[in-house]
Amino acid sequence: MTSSGEPLVLGIESSCDETGVALVRGNDLLFDAVASSMEEHARFGGIIPEVASRAHLEAMVPTIERALDEAGVTLSDVDAVAVTAGPGLVGPLTIGTSAAKALSIGLGKPLYGVNHVIGHACVDQLSGGEFPDRVMALVVSGGHSSLLLVDDIATDVTELGSTLDDAAGEAFDKVGRLLGLPYPGGPHVDRLAREGDPTAIRFPRGLTAPKDQERHAYNFSFSGLKTAVARWVEARTDAGKDIPVEDVCASFAEAVADVLTAKTIAACRRHDVDTLVIGGGFSANSQLREMAAKRCAEAGITLRIPPIRHCTDNGAMIAALGSAVVRAGVAPSGLDIPVDSSMPLETITV
Amino acid sequence: MPVLAIDTSAAVSVALVSETGGRLAARSSGERRRHAESLAPLITQVLDDAGTDRTALTAVVAGTGPAPFTGLRVGLVTARTLALAVGIPVLGVPSLDGLAAQAVSDLGLDPDDEVLVASDARRKEVYWARYRVVAHEGPHGVPVVRTVAGPEVGRAAAVAEAQPGAVAGPATGVAGARAVVVGEGAALYPDVLPLDDDAPLLPDATVLARLALARRDAGLALPTEPLYLRRPDVQEPAPPKSPALG
Repeated sequence: MTSSGEPLVLGIESSCDETGVALVRGNDLLFDAVASSMEEHARFGGIIPEVASRAHLEAMVPTIERALDEAGVTLSDVDAVAVTAGPGLVGPLTIGTSAAKALSIGLGKPLYGVNHVIGHACVDQLSGGEFPDRVMALVVSGGHSSLLLVDDIATDVTELGSTLDDAAGEAFDKVGRLLGLPYPGGPHVDRLAREGDPTAIRFPRGLTAPKDQERHAYNFSFSGLKTAVARWVEARTDAGKDIPVEDVCASFAEAVADVLTAKTIAACRRHDVDTLVIGGGFSANSQLREMAAKRCAEAGITLRIPPIRHCTDNGAMIAALGSAVVRAGVAPSGLDIPVDSSMPLETITV
Repeated sequence: MPVLAIDTSAAVSVALVSETGGRLAARSSGERRRHAESLAPLITQVLDDAGTDRTALTAVVAGTGPAPFTGLRVGLVTARTLALAVGIPVLGVPSLDGLAAQAVSDLGLDPDDEVLVASDARRKEVYWARYRVVAHEGPHGVPVVRTVAGPEVGRAAAVAEAQPGAVAGPATGVAGARAVVVGEGAALYPDVLPLDDDAPLLPDATVLARLALARRDAGLALPTEPLYLRRPDVQEPAPPKSPALG
């Protein structure tokens, strides 16, 4: 299907430390520009909202200009403006929504405030095409771990479960820190895990006991796992033994991937869904990718994972969701919309 | 051919001003914590009030503070992006300069009089700057003032102590000149910063627009860099002493 007659949507993302601006027409991505303040946060060992907010202010106009230049379009070609309204950090979200409102006023084009987490699933439509009628979406990142039943990405999303404590990526970063790896630790843990034995240590699988099946069948918990890794490392250190870092990483990563995929496949079966989309920065994790591919193949489920550059925070995911809601005829947002740091995952637009 | 001016350094003030400095429309909101919700609707209302189409705008002016960070950024990113969308310049003016100019008009100040402007910096501090009047009325009907100290941030008592001539009696240097204190920051700490009767309390976007036009016409650069004056509150974490949870 050609997208030449579809509206051109400019999407702005600023919920954390990446300033993202992208242009999407239909499901075609024209260009995705991202400016990151990640390096400014590294020495603090975590995202500092005020540092991120200052960087968003300085990056916003240059990033919009770069996206337009590279896409070969001008602002007068834009038919609608989409922006992350939540969830995320208030200061950073405020920069993106203010810029989007100003574009909406200045261009005389409608504004759509959209949900960041749902954008992480929707971005897969840019590479994998329109979703079938019903898909399961697992969104996993440094800030989110959620299982969403998507009947219509623009109008009908049901949250089946989310993490009760740490997000998957967050647990990786914390384990990286306790092993003394550089920030952010996640990618280092992933790299070391590939050289270790995933069966070396049996770490716990959170919320998988029979008693958890009723209330927490599709919720996640990674805090206990992280503590178990810390206790194991401590005991080993106290005993004067070396830490087999690769085996610790591999066994930890195995536990995370096992819980995420087991619960997700169970949800697909329970809801009779045959397509799974995994989005968010943590979908770059090797063990998660391998285990999801294997278990989906066994269960006859089609697995869709966006390219890695679309899994981290970016404007393409917001432009993609904006494009979907515009095409679905959803009403635009008012110019007075607030940002919502804890936006419910069933809220697609505000 | 009007300019749109925005100030979010304290509350929200929006004005539409003609190229010659005449006020076409103005609106404000007392909102201190929800700038991002109130600013954009106020802009469309001001354009509607004046019957002005967005494409007729010739520049966007923004108050650059100093001010609490989140609200200040709402005004600056809005001004920069709106200017980009319409294809017009964006001009920055320190918000405290606007209050100083207002004081000259409102209080009938003369050349060599001095104005100490203080705004609320929260955390029991004020943002402040001290100005000397150059002309009661200059181009675009706006007073001309020159900064002699600041802008800085500090406790009101410390400001009063360091700027004795600004808060008590005649201005320093020039015999017979007045010294006045204006701004909401003074209203919060009247025992150390005695606010002048009838002193303006909050920046007015109309005055910022006139200042911007006068400075632009004088060939001055008008950057929109925010005047934060404070570093982000962050501490670098100590490295973990032993393998334990952070």
